[in-house]
Amino acid sequence: MPTINSPANDYSPLAGTYDELLDASGNMHPQWGKLVEGFAQMGAQTVNSRWVNAQRLIQDNGVTYNVYGDPHGMERPWALDPVPLVIAHDEWAKLEKALIQRAFVLNHVLTNLHGSRSLITSNVLPADMVYANPHFLRPCTAIRQRKDQHLVLYGVDIARNPAGQWWVVDDRTQAPSGAGYALENRVVMSRTFPNLFRQCGVQRLAMFFSKLRETLAHLAPQGRDNPRIVLLTPGPYNETYFEHAYLARYLGFTLAEGGDLAVRNNKVYLKTLSGLQRVDVILRRLDDEYCDPLELRNDSQLGVAGLVQAAAAGEVTIANALGSGVIETPAFMPFFRSLCRKITGEEALLPSVATWWCGHQQARTYVLEHLHELVIKSAFDGPHKTPPIFGQSLTKPQIDELKAKILANPHHYIGQESVTLSTVPTWQGDCLVPRHLLLRVYVAATEDGYTVMPGGLSRISSAQDSKIISMQKGGGSKDAWVLSDGPVNMFSLLPTDVSNVKLARQTQDLPSRVADTMFWLGRYVERAESLVRLCRSIIQRMIDQVMEESCPELPRLFTLLGRKTFATPENGPIQSPLEEYDRVIGYLQMVLFERELDFGLLSMAHHIRRLGSVVRDRISLDTWRILSQIDRRLSQAAVTPLDMTEQLELLDELLVPFTAFAGFSHESMTQGQGWRFLMMGRRVERALFTATLLDELVVPQEEHELPMLDAALEIASSNMTYRSRYQTTVAALPVLDLLLIDETNPQSVGFQLNELSRHIDTLPREILDGQRTSEQKHILKLLSELRLADVQQLSQRDSLGRRSELSDLLNRLVSELLELNDQLTQRYLVHAQPLQSLSVTSLNPQSLGMEAV
Amino acid sequence: MQYRLTHITEYHYGVAATVSHSAVHMLPREVSNQTWQNFDLIITPTPDVFQKHVDFFGNSAAFAAVQQPHKQLIIKLVGTVDVQPRQPLLQNMSRPWEQVRDKLITDLTNDGLDAYQYCFDSPLAPGLQMLQAYTLKSFTPGRPILDAAKDLSERIHVDFKFDPTSTTILTTVQKVFEQRSGVCQDFAHLMIACLRSLDLPARYVSGYLRTYPPPGKPRLIGADASHAWAAVYCPDNGWVDFDPTNSQIVNNDHITLAWGRDFEDVSPVKGVVLGGGNHQIRVSVDVEPLNTSTLAPVVGQNMSQSQSQSQPSTQSQLPSQSQSQNVN
Repeated sequence: MPTINSPANDYSPLAGTYDELLDASGNMHPQWGKLVEGFAQMGAQTVNSRWVNAQRLIQDNGVTYNVYGDPHGMERPWALDPVPLVIAHDEWAKLEKALIQRAFVLNHVLTNLHGSRSLITSNVLPADMVYANPHFLRPCTAIRQRKDQHLVLYGVDIARNPAGQWWVVDDRTQAPSGAGYALENRVVMSRTFPNLFRQCGVQRLAMFFSKLRETLAHLAPQGRDNPRIVLLTPGPYNETYFEHAYLARYLGFTLAEGGDLAVRNNKVYLKTLSGLQRVDVILRRLDDEYCDPLELRNDSQLGVAGLVQAAAAGEVTIANALGSGVIETPAFMPFFRSLCRKITGEEALLPSVATWWCGHQQARTYVLEHLHELVIKSAFDGPHKTPPIFGQSLTKPQIDELKAKILANPHHYIGQESVTLSTVPTWQGDCLVPRHLLLRVYVAATEDGYTVMPGGLSRISSAQDSKIISMQKGGGSKDAWVLSDGPVNMFSLLPTDVSNVKLARQTQDLPSRVADTMFWLGRYVERAESLVRLCRSIIQRMIDQVMEESCPELPRLFTLLGRKTFATPENGPIQSPLEEYDRVIGYLQMVLFERELDFGLLSMAHHIRRLGSVVRDRISLDTWRILSQIDRRLSQAAVTPLDMTEQLELLDELLVPFTAFAGFSHESMTQGQGWRFLMMGRRVERALFTATLLDELVVPQEEHELPMLDAALEIASSNMTYRSRYQTTVAALPVLDLLLIDETNPQSVGFQLNELSRHIDTLPREILDGQRTSEQKHILKLLSELRLADVQQLSQRDSLGRRSELSDLLNRLVSELLELNDQLTQRYLVHAQPLQSLSVTSLNPQSLGMEAV
Repeated sequence: MQYRLTHITEYHYGVAATVSHSAVHMLPREVSNQTWQNFDLIITPTPDVFQKHVDFFGNSAAFAAVQQPHKQLIIKLVGTVDVQPRQPLLQNMSRPWEQVRDKLITDLTNDGLDAYQYCFDSPLAPGLQMLQAYTLKSFTPGRPILDAAKDLSERIHVDFKFDPTSTTILTTVQKVFEQRSGVCQDFAHLMIACLRSLDLPARYVSGYLRTYPPPGKPRLIGADASHAWAAVYCPDNGWVDFDPTNSQIVNNDHITLAWGRDFEDVSPVKGVVLGGGNHQIRVSVDVEPLNTSTLAPVVGQNMSQSQSQSQPSTQSQLPSQSQSQNVN
């Protein structure tokens, strides 16, 4: 029993519900003992301070959950509660047995429905449940799933009724979500409370995932060794995209979007930089209907044309099997008991929540008579599409209206017993409060049966009285601790040190889409960094200028800023910055923080974060943290207007993560093809920036050339190099040599071109009789032109005082670089031309295949 | 009656398509009153993958994939078919429609189970409640199901205007019902939806219809069209076809290709293409009677409504197969 200062002392459960911590007489269920004691010893203050760190870990790890219909902060940080759900060993053993039985039955039903359908002809499963079910996908009946293993990863929502009995509330049979979040919850909890975690003897999750991986590998067609397994995701706009990337990395699978895959000769291939690579097994996170625009929903932009046919030909195994959604419907629930009896000869070990499908006369009559006490749901839609209706909260006319709706379309409705969910203690700063609990548990197929993940994703209601538990609606989550009765198996799949996570595992696996993202990530980061440097130079001058003489270069710097951001100051160019202090502040504020400005710094930071999130499975955690930090810091700063000193401080501060990113990309990324594309993006962008810088500061006619050259050196971070090399006053000739030609200066155009040339030479290409590719020729031409340039001549001014030869060269460089950029994109990155459906125009382009946690 | 049938679907791409996948429902299925002398499905360029299979509904279907760059894809069905007159319909001899509805719920025979699946909503032909009142005017209590279905088919023919400009494949049954016009596909879907609104089994039949040139005019080659109609199930009679577009009981002017719950299940050609840019679809159908000694249509019977279109299309609005191929 808790003694000193136990937070459980003041905890009072709700009347009429089962509480996970305390029994009806207020005594603690014994499995909670060690945990409560541990929390009591730590005290509220320690728990809170550790939890602040945990929250930061969650944020830094980018654990997010996308909320639909929230245009701005679409990504919401994952909500996790510090108090885990504790489940005793014996109780879990019973649950395990029951869930394995359920998985076995469900798999049998799926195999039967996509095979002989004898369950229908023998009237064990009513024909109308299948025929009226829009998720019974007839094309998928052509697929003979390898080893009859339709259900490979099964998710099941269970809850406890007031008597303490567990019930099945929902089955997730096609692409269950949340296992990755459960894993991440565990990582956060075990790092935040390591002692507590150890003392409690919590069972580990790693073995489960290891078995899942093994099973998937065994399911490869023709039993091929060392199969390539991909995780098929709907993409970054899906609510659980974080998890897809996380799981892919954890399991060592390639994360692929539909556009990354192609069917040729009934086989599935991954489109990579080095061509098409055979895919053997697909772990999908895409709903059935969206998987193949040819045979399933033809408005799907997320699927792979010909996938059903490839699966039917036995050339690829998809987990879970296509068509598994047919039993992921509430209408299926009432039939489980008799199916279980028929298939296993045993009674169901775990009851399902009482459900009546209105497609059948008797059930319909019952539902219509008990509408006021039931929950009415769509028989076949998820809660996303049709939210449940609680009968008890309806008025008489509403009841009548609902009755009419049910009678008009009885097959589309079910009535379900209204479940009072158990409560679980939840941390509220200094005390525990009861919140309703729904536990999602995962079951994975093994060689000879099923195995249950010891733990799961506990989800809790956002408020005490809330009946709906949904991450979409702002609920939270908890780790679930299943206690061990013996020594804990310490098996782990996690890399011991996360900072060592490398960019690309196998270069030939790099999907073209990933290379494209890396390339643009490189360009955006470089562009943002150069913007920061430019703004910093401007602000420093503005601040100094107040005391000293005027800076003739300032108006030029403003023009340069305008050229890079495509944003001009209101009311025309800034001619005399000193007298227009307010306009300068306003302009800078816009360039730095205006959300709507496409090429402003804040937009750049958003892009960087977005691109980073797309390649989450390819970059290290630390790299990701840096990228999201840039965005977070800028977004925070954008809230209140800053004065110039504050702006300067912010910019100084921001240079740190940029430098860190550059360091990481050199020091801790595998120098594979992904890295190359990142670097090429940077090189292209920096060459463009330096060329524009010279064009703005060195080309025009100018009386006071010195401050211009100084500024150019400073913005290109080359003044140190210059001083150490020339130790003389600044002059145009050496500045041009250093910033344009000198290939040893990492800021010069020449350096960028040379590096680009090196990278391009290593890219995969078809053999062209020893000839160079067009990109190779292009970069060689550019590089030669620069190498052959006469700096002396370039530094000459024409009769109007302009350096027109330099100007011509710079303009040529810029347009040729952009062309090279397009060539690279053409050859390597636009593998994914848009798929066109030639049969029916899109019915609903916004719809995405997804599933709610 | 013998016909030579030619059905050509051509895709012309603005830029070469890298890969195209097609699902084809143009291989005629076995039907008791039809004998195919020979038929051939010719695809150019020769597909790299061509696979025939039997679909869930028992239709012959095929997949074709062309995996080298191509600027056009032509899918051509040619064949000669002999269509025998069907059994005369004794519609009054069929059972009351309520009995058919109730029998299917417990009928576990293969035919019964197969028919049962056609009682339920499908995407393009849902049994909307709004159709019930209209349907019940034909389906009076105790009326023999085939008699009632024939009446419904005739009423649709009278109440709805044939107008190829009024609908596309995206037009819903609800819209067709409200605007009272459409083409054969719409009328077939409407009739099916009406029957399903009473929980009766109804399916969509895809095929062709012999057309008669106006008196004194020669038959225009290639001016025919794909056609569609509805069929209703009665346990004693099996499936009986009705053509609400032409108010005919289907006889030997109709050539059956395939059937399913609605157009979506048996669309003659569905395709997904990688690249291709702007594209145009052209469709031509020719139903040539080979032994023309057969009697001309009865005077006073309506001319079969049929129209073939070949419309150029633009990229901004992707044309659907049926917009261009306007199934009548």
